[in-house]
Amino acid sequence: MRAIAPALVFFAVAGLAPLVVRDAFLLDGLILILMWGAAGAAWNIAGGYAGQVSLGHSAFFGLGAYAAALCGTRWQLSPWIGLLIGALVATATGFIIGYLSNRLRGPYFVLATIAFSQVLLIGASRWRGFTAGSEGIPVPFRPGFWTLGIADKRVWVWIVLTLAVLVYLVQLYLERSRRGYQLAAVREDEDAALSLGVPARRLKVAAIAVSAALTAACGALWAQYVGFVDPVYVFSVDLSVRFSLAAILGGLGTALGPFLGSVLVTTVETYLRARFGGIGAGLVGIYLILYGCALIVMVRFAPQGLVGWIGDRRRHRTAARATP
Amino acid sequence: MSDLPQLAVSTILLGGMYALIAVGLTLIFGVMRVVNFAHGEFLMLAMYLAFWAFSLLHFDPYLTLVVSLPLFFVVGWVSYRVVMRPIIHASHNVQVFTTVGLSIALQNVALVLWTADVRFVRTDYYAIVLRFGGAAFNIAQLVAFAIAVVFTAALFAFMRWSYTGKVMRATAQDRQASALMGIDTDRVYATTWAVGITCVGVAGVLLAPVYPVYPTAGLQFVLIAYVTVVLGGLGDMAGALIASLVVAAVEVIGSYVIGTAWKEVLYLLLFIAILVVRPAGLFGQRGAELLGT
Repeated sequence: MRAIAPALVFFAVAGLAPLVVRDAFLLDGLILILMWGAAGAAWNIAGGYAGQVSLGHSAFFGLGAYAAALCGTRWQLSPWIGLLIGALVATATGFIIGYLSNRLRGPYFVLATIAFSQVLLIGASRWRGFTAGSEGIPVPFRPGFWTLGIADKRVWVWIVLTLAVLVYLVQLYLERSRRGYQLAAVREDEDAALSLGVPARRLKVAAIAVSAALTAACGALWAQYVGFVDPVYVFSVDLSVRFSLAAILGGLGTALGPFLGSVLVTTVETYLRARFGGIGAGLVGIYLILYGCALIVMVRFAPQGLVGWIGDRRRHRTAARATP
Repeated sequence: MSDLPQLAVSTILLGGMYALIAVGLTLIFGVMRVVNFAHGEFLMLAMYLAFWAFSLLHFDPYLTLVVSLPLFFVVGWVSYRVVMRPIIHASHNVQVFTTVGLSIALQNVALVLWTADVRFVRTDYYAIVLRFGGAAFNIAQLVAFAIAVVFTAALFAFMRWSYTGKVMRATAQDRQASALMGIDTDRVYATTWAVGITCVGVAGVLLAPVYPVYPTAGLQFVLIAYVTVVLGGLGDMAGALIASLVVAAVEVIGSYVIGTAWKEVLYLLLFIAILVVRPAGLFGQRGAELLGT
């Protein structure tokens, strides 16, 4: 209970905030924090818990976004069905990627995943007959919960919060279950884990597939929320970096870390956008310079992320108190 | 069949340029065991250098080359000292994210300073087309190719015969043993990184008269460089040379047969196939991708 208390507080605050806050700008910020937090946490399942660091997760995000948008525009289906289809396609893709690149480690795996997301990027922008090409797809607004045409941002907070909690619970499962421990063993030393009879390959592939499905769900909701799907954005390497950034800043392989990372990343970005957007649009890039530098500094000085760093602090304090 | 000479010439010209980018990347990997995800951004900076020197000072890009060579060596040396040195013995993930962070930062420095506008270096001789034996090519491409070949040859000679080159190769083979032999590995890494960055510093200036420059221009070239480098075997410089011709051939023949829109998909699929089937590359040693240290 004590271990998950901070998370309970975080999600409770996020869930209750819409009752008090009416300001559309703040609610939008909250939705984005939860959205990128959930995507970062989904990345964390593969990158943090399974140690399969990918910079191609935008592939899954894009698959989800396209599934939702295409279901709405092409087949007049509910985006919820789109979300489900997107998640299924992403799971299958995750299985294929995980299986094919099972042997690859470190930078090789990173390269393979980047290449894969680029293939989808080019596919989505060139296959004009199906995806509408590089112009992207405007998602039509059809009012109603079933069509996800919701103008009230408070409802969006709760929808995205549900997904965020779901991803959090999956992470919690990995922290507390036998499978989770086995996965950690594979991440730390695959050969040793194999020699103990841990099905390393199956666990890694499963982690990537689950991570892919959840990332696709984020993509589907994002497409409905923003109302526009642009291949160059949803399949970009930048987007993959954004997921990993939230997880690394917050704490790789910690359940709450990606959400804390997302709070940091999203607030700085939203603030700079509001401050410098419009006339000095170029200056918006400043936040990305900050991200880049933060990434370099963080992995060097606090590779455990914010959560790990706070945990260290606290342990130091308790230790100091125990030995007066 | 009448297009064959054109395809061959285009392949060789393109391959020469790719080789110069790839050689720097593979050198850094071979010696330092680091995949430089910021390689494309250094290339982009060099392209901007050529652009600004041309539009502000009316420097011809080939004149800028003389400045670019020492400048990018210094840029490389400094970036090694500040960014790479502290993490040279850290885990793969730390190294990956450090260079990714560097890449994001550099890309957006360019975005903030010079906006996202696509810019061109329009030299007087830009439109001059030479014809030779049924093949037509741009003079800027030909000059870029010639300089790239000379530079790559010089690099090979440097690695083969100079003392520094030998020391670098020794460190690539076994960093512990070379440290025991009294080699200052830190200095070797700094030199390697700086030489690798100098390669893209030269390549970027050579590319500027042929390709437009914008803050994310590095990505398309560096993706090709990854393909090339993995195909040739990460760390294998001679392999990278042959692989750059292979990749250029795939690109040229792919554009010819199925159109330019899908050519990138071809080499990316080739890339994934190589990673899956033979991650050590065509000429690399099996199992090289598993070497942790």
